[in-house]
Amino acid sequence: MKIRSFFNLRDFGAGIWERSNRLQRVGIALISIFLVGLLPFAGASFLATPIASYDAVLVYPVGIFVLMALGLNIVVGKSGMLDLGYVAFFAIGAYTMALMGTLTSLNTWEIMPFGIAFAMLAGVLLGLPTLRLRGDYLAIVTLGFGEIVRLIALNSTWTKGPNGIANIPMPPDIGPLKFKLDDQKVFFWVVVVMILLTIWMIRRLSIRRPGRAWEAIRQDEDAAELMGVPTLKYKIWSFTLGAAIGGAAGVLYASKNLFIAPEMFTLNVSILILSCVVFGGIGNIWGVVVGATILGYLPDRIRFISDARLLVFGLVLVVVMNFRPDGLLPRKKREKAIVKREVSA
Amino acid sequence: MNRKIQRSLAVVSAAALVFGVASASTAQAAAKVLYIAYQGPLSGGEASTGIDEQNAVKYAVKLFNAKNKGKFNVKVVSVDDQGDPAVASTVAPGIGSNKNVLGVVGPAYSGATIASLPYYKAGGLVLISPSATRVSLTDPTSPDFGGPVFHRVVGKDDLQGPALAKYATKGVSNAKVFVFDDQSAYAVPLRGYVEAGLTKVAGASLVGGDSVPNTATDYSPTIAKIATSGATVVIYTGYYSAAAIFIKQLRDSGSKAIFAGGDGVFNQEFPKLAGTAAEGSRITGVGGLAGISPKLEADFKKQMGVSSGVYSVESYDAANILLEGIKKGNTTRAKMLKWVKAYKGKSVSGNTIKFDANGDISYGLFAGFTSKGGVLVNTGIVK
Amino acid sequence: MFVVLIDQFWSLTIAGLALGFIYVLISLGYTMVYGVLRMINFANSEIFMWGTFGTVITNRDLYNYTQTSEPATGWKLALVLITALLMSMFIAGLTAVFVEFVAYRRLRMKGTNRLATLISAIGISIVLQEVMRLLTDSRPVGSPRVLEKIILAEVWGANLRLDTIITIIAAAVIFFILERFIKLSRMGKAIRAVSQNEDAAKLMGVNLNRVITTTFLVGGLATGAAAFFYTTVFEYTKFNIGFTMGLAAFTAAVLGGIGNIRGAFYGGISLGLLEVYASAVLGTQWKAVTVFVVLVLVLLFKPNGLFGEAVQQTRA
Repeated sequence: MKIRSFFNLRDFGAGIWERSNRLQRVGIALISIFLVGLLPFAGASFLATPIASYDAVLVYPVGIFVLMALGLNIVVGKSGMLDLGYVAFFAIGAYTMALMGTLTSLNTWEIMPFGIAFAMLAGVLLGLPTLRLRGDYLAIVTLGFGEIVRLIALNSTWTKGPNGIANIPMPPDIGPLKFKLDDQKVFFWVVVVMILLTIWMIRRLSIRRPGRAWEAIRQDEDAAELMGVPTLKYKIWSFTLGAAIGGAAGVLYASKNLFIAPEMFTLNVSILILSCVVFGGIGNIWGVVVGATILGYLPDRIRFISDARLLVFGLVLVVVMNFRPDGLLPRKKREKAIVKREVSA
Repeated sequence: MNRKIQRSLAVVSAAALVFGVASASTAQAAAKVLYIAYQGPLSGGEASTGIDEQNAVKYAVKLFNAKNKGKFNVKVVSVDDQGDPAVASTVAPGIGSNKNVLGVVGPAYSGATIASLPYYKAGGLVLISPSATRVSLTDPTSPDFGGPVFHRVVGKDDLQGPALAKYATKGVSNAKVFVFDDQSAYAVPLRGYVEAGLTKVAGASLVGGDSVPNTATDYSPTIAKIATSGATVVIYTGYYSAAAIFIKQLRDSGSKAIFAGGDGVFNQEFPKLAGTAAEGSRITGVGGLAGISPKLEADFKKQMGVSSGVYSVESYDAANILLEGIKKGNTTRAKMLKWVKAYKGKSVSGNTIKFDANGDISYGLFAGFTSKGGVLVNTGIVK
Repeated sequence: MFVVLIDQFWSLTIAGLALGFIYVLISLGYTMVYGVLRMINFANSEIFMWGTFGTVITNRDLYNYTQTSEPATGWKLALVLITALLMSMFIAGLTAVFVEFVAYRRLRMKGTNRLATLISAIGISIVLQEVMRLLTDSRPVGSPRVLEKIILAEVWGANLRLDTIITIIAAAVIFFILERFIKLSRMGKAIRAVSQNEDAAKLMGVNLNRVITTTFLVGGLATGAAAFFYTTVFEYTKFNIGFTMGLAAFTAAVLGGIGNIRGAFYGGISLGLLEVYASAVLGTQWKAVTVFVVLVLVLLFKPNGLFGEAVQQTRA
């Protein structure tokens, strides 16, 4: 029995892209970016979120979720390692921002490299000993790591323990663009730029050596190792890149939220981000973006059913996974396309 | 193909219908109606606290609307922050920029308050919290300072800590005290104030402590520590549900040490959950509606269908301050803020509510309660 | 630092053992499903949580005990305890089969990626938790005391309490029965066959669906038994307790070597003891950190857990 559900958006989109020439592609990309940039102005339409402020929702959860999901997708989607502790890197980024922002006079953009560097360092430190583990063993170790980072933040005095850190500075204005609390459009645009940079980076890497190595590792690690792929090295690379993006998201989040506390970095965040990745279409950038957007946005959109909100969220996960196990926008076609291009080149 | 398109169209239009209808219903803000908000945890693990508080707010509003029929129609906007600062910072901007909302009862928790404050300060929206007790919120030198918008009708931790220390060790000579918390943002600072308060109690000494996550159910290591320390008084600064689990285990281990807790434990559910083990426990808190006015409580139960719960008096008071302001014609945020700042009135508990420059109330006396026959009995203000 | 550990060593050990045996039974729910499906049964924590309500319902509604009523004695006590045990096992077993049917079956038949199944399981655990939250109005629920917690004897300064002793002995018995079932019964052999090689088992005439449903059922029953002991010892439950217990039991399963029944046993016991000792020495706030550090160290030296390799052939 074959159930072909809905209209195949993935093939449709990929088809248009394949048929376009370079100029058209640039055009499509620019128009899409422009439309996304206009999103914060659509607050009065049916997109409006009750209670929560629409433009704030676009930044967090939606924007930050997309960013983190893209980062986690490198680890889980591209190289096939199950990471349940992704929140650790987010937390490290956020705490870097919070501590350096309140203790030094550096601004958000100057702290960003530190946040990314610390997250990457944590990625390497965790990755070196543990990435030899396979599958679910890796999952529990990463999960533990995520909890350890949270517990250290909770139990230490230099992180202000459970009280958290308040008065984190906002980012400095970029020319005429001012960061404001009651209107978070600029934050949203910054997140969009970061997302675009991430997408660009992932696409570059995917079609080059690391991408192929990850693909090989994901499909059969032993075979990859036998064929001379230095698997550990590429696994650590993938882990560290994912960490870097998580760290960057954390820095931005702290700077947007102005206050962070350990309870913001629980295992639930890791699970939620993983859900975004799988829900949207694991391994496929656009799928991940769609998944994270929907899962970030949905709980705030359906606030009018307040009490049963999470229940609906859970049901959506079950139903969508059962009927579209590869996610909303799965990856298959895209990979084929890459292979085809390489052969013809 | 055709069928596929049809199907997807059907889905899209159904979704649009659901979403459209919903947004229409939320956007129907008739000009006559005035709004106040309640912010606190209404879903998630802490939901029961928020639901109790919100019930008290709704009750106050119900009475007000009935009394001023035709003149005012006040509605309560439920702002669910799940007691979680991360959620608070997505909902707060929405309330901060929603000019229809004149004032907020809440936020219930200190962490969520700190996360929400920037947005409310920007919007000039007055807050009266029934239960955010963190000291730094009204400390002008702290980065958490909530002025000018933040007010609270509950005593803060540095009043409660010493009161709890005093009440717990009352009548115990050379009390050896063991203090532990639940790692939450509420319990850890309170523990600090309890320990500071102990130094002022003659003869009392601190013999040990622990920090147990509130998700724990097995307290045997903590009980082992208590046994080793030889403590005669055990003070817990966390919440009632964990306290109920703990006290049972402590009694089952054979320990006779006095158990004491703060306003987190102060909940009539505590003796219900803990049964006979709770007997004699000493708890500081502010008397609930049922304890202060049985008549009001009876009416509450009739109107709301449930008994009043934790912080019901505080929530009811806070809502009444805002409602009185509305009655006096303070229907802009700036006027409302001014009204609250200058407010002077009576609490249901009989105390005079008047806020100082930092948003604290002038009273803030904590009563001592003892668990007796399955209920917490008020033994008077701790002096 | 070590004063408490030395002073209260036997009290801690007994408490750790009781906790450990509860972990053993819950981790069976993880490990058995992992054995046949190579899948983390993420919903097992909520199966446990639902199971705890079985005991509460039995004590409170079926036998009308209240928080202030006298504990049961004699035959009545045995009757109530056994009904509660069966009720918890029944509810948890039913929930487990339900989870398999709703969240796993369709995906398994399609043979799709494991992550989809994982997310589906996460989804169903959110649903289970939220349904219970709405049913209980987000409030903690106390279970009336049925079993008087008599101190039977004092050994080396430690109290031997009735409930702890019953938990340790009964849990060990239940574990032993389940282990024999897997080892000796026809169905148990089928389960092991599937876990070793699904296709070969199918070719040999094993009814895959039935085997997998049974695996979930048995895992659920074990988890339900754990829920009974938990509720009897702690007399408390809440819609969100599953997470902590589930995570600990899952850690125990991995520590012992996931997919391996004996591994679950040793993993559970070691974890129970490790938790209480670590809490006593370092402070309870560092318990979870210690557990995970130990887990990482174990996995570094024995990548398949403590018992992963040795018993590879008899995986269940």
